[in-house]
Amino acid sequence: MAATKEGFSGSGDSTIIGPSILISGKLSGDEDLTVRGRVEGELSLTKTLIVEPSGIVKANVQVRNAIVSGVVVGNISATESVELTREGRMVGDINSPRVIIVDGASFRGRVDMGNAEPRAPGERPATRPATRPVLRTQPAAVTRPTTIARPGGKPLPPAAPVIASKGDKGSDKPAPPPPPQPVLVGEGGKKKVLLKTKKK
Amino acid sequence: MANTIIGSSITIDGEISGDEDLVIQGTVKGKISLKESLFVEASASVEADIEVQNVEITGKVTGNIAATDKVELKADCRVVGDVRAPRILIADGASFKGNVDMDVKER
Repeated sequence: MAATKEGFSGSGDSTIIGPSILISGKLSGDEDLTVRGRVEGELSLTKTLIVEPSGIVKANVQVRNAIVSGVVVGNISATESVELTREGRMVGDINSPRVIIVDGASFRGRVDMGNAEPRAPGERPATRPATRPVLRTQPAAVTRPTTIARPGGKPLPPAAPVIASKGDKGSDKPAPPPPPQPVLVGEGGKKKVLLKTKKK
Repeated sequence: MANTIIGSSITIDGEISGDEDLVIQGTVKGKISLKESLFVEASASVEADIEVQNVEITGKVTGNIAATDKVELKADCRVVGDVRAPRILIADGASFKGNVDMDVKER
């Protein structure tokens, strides 16, 4: 907890809800908010919400960052991050690109980090768009007719997924030989090639 | 600074209650009931019925104020509403519109 406090201590004049205070209704603002008391209703901030160990928030929360060391009942939607610290207890859904749940925290609910896309846009995107669409359309075309033809039974589908998985493995590295060889996965194959060249 | 502060960019629409001092720099609409002191600072805008022990107003308040001890309207404050308290102070420069009732020693 000490680390998190240090991290956000820069903003001096933030709002504090003291331990004996109860706010019920709508709360919105553009500054950090520290809750040591109770807040019920709706809470939206463009900055950081800090729920301290004595704090109780029963609200739908929309913030940029949330650090929960107290109790939160309700959904949190954060544009940056949600952190449940050691003392944090929460029931509700989290919607945030970064979600940190520390050992000791208790949480029940759903977590949605959105699409995995925004992370690591550096390396692969150049090869992916070219290969994937072509390979994906094939398995889709194979699986769809079978599932539609037999909505209740399971006999045929097993055959289709095998083809689909081969296609996906091949899509990462289009250079190695065509899909039919299931053992030779993209990266493993390349490493072997590199070793051979070094020995020679 | 152990007390509660509602910062200048904060808007609260609802009810605030508690047993400690409260400083308002932002906007509050609804109802405030405290067993301690309320400070409405110059940047604050309060549109609420207020029930407290003490209240000190430098900002803007619209609503009825009932204090068990004291209401203090500082210079530059703007208050519209009825004020009820055994002690009421209105400073030079304060703007106020409403009824004053000091005849309530017991509530």
